Amino acid sequence: MALEFLINLIVFLFPLVVFGLIIGRTREKRHLRRLDQFDAENRDFLVTQIKTFPGAVRSERPPVLVVAEVVIASDYLKSWFAQWRNLFGGEVRSFQTLQTRAKREAVARLTRQARALGFNALCNVRIESADVGGATGDRRVPMAAVIATATAYQAAPVS
Amino acid sequence: MIVTNTETVAGYEITAVRGLVQGNTVRAKHAGRDIAASFKNLVGGELKGYTELLTESRREALQRMLAQAQELGADAVVNVRFTTSAVTAGAAELYAYGTAVNIEPLPQD
Repeated sequence: MALEFLINLIVFLFPLVVFGLIIGRTREKRHLRRLDQFDAENRDFLVTQIKTFPGAVRSERPPVLVVAEVVIASDYLKSWFAQWRNLFGGEVRSFQTLQTRAKREAVARLTRQARALGFNALCNVRIESADVGGATGDRRVPMAAVIATATAYQAAPVS
Repeated sequence: MIVTNTETVAGYEITAVRGLVQGNTVRAKHAGRDIAASFKNLVGGELKGYTELLTESRREALQRMLAQAQELGADAVVNVRFTTSAVTAGAAELYAYGTAVNIEPLPQD
């Protein structure tokens, strides 16, 4: 582990970190901006993780299960930061934002699906981390994978 | 077939419980996807191949679960849950389970 880390440091690291710094950072910022915009546009959409149907109104259409999957890759800079963290311990911020992005994106996709079906609310949102085989594989690919489920239904409009 | 991940269905009443239904699938991703993923790992961003893999697996598992529910004569599945587990390096299981029930619309008041 330590030797591999040193070799990485000398041979590959510098260009890759710069690569991650420029492209990865831009992508992350763009993604977060997109998510902020989405949240702002969907303030009238009720999202809860309550098991019952808050504010449900009578509707012809029965509630529908919606599911969304998101897998987001880390960039080299993030992975590099994480390796450093591994030496000293503490919170791995670069992966924390990665997880946040995956989870927010999943809820955004649920919302989009529910809207497309003509519903205006989601309840019982459940977000679970998924395993696509990478985390336990020999080729350790740092990524955030989540499956989110919720039930879409018709609620009284939120003011 | 009405499917929800809640214990009840708004506007409906559960009249009979048919029991647990389940469906699962184990899928491996092919090497091409792994290679694409390792490139993505330099620059970050969504791993679309893996997302699709999860979506396919989920559809398959859900379909198997619904087939069971149909066999039991249910007309809804409530409290649906998904879990994943790694079987071996490069293959993951997606498991869907829920409770098959019969429901009837609540009378209008």
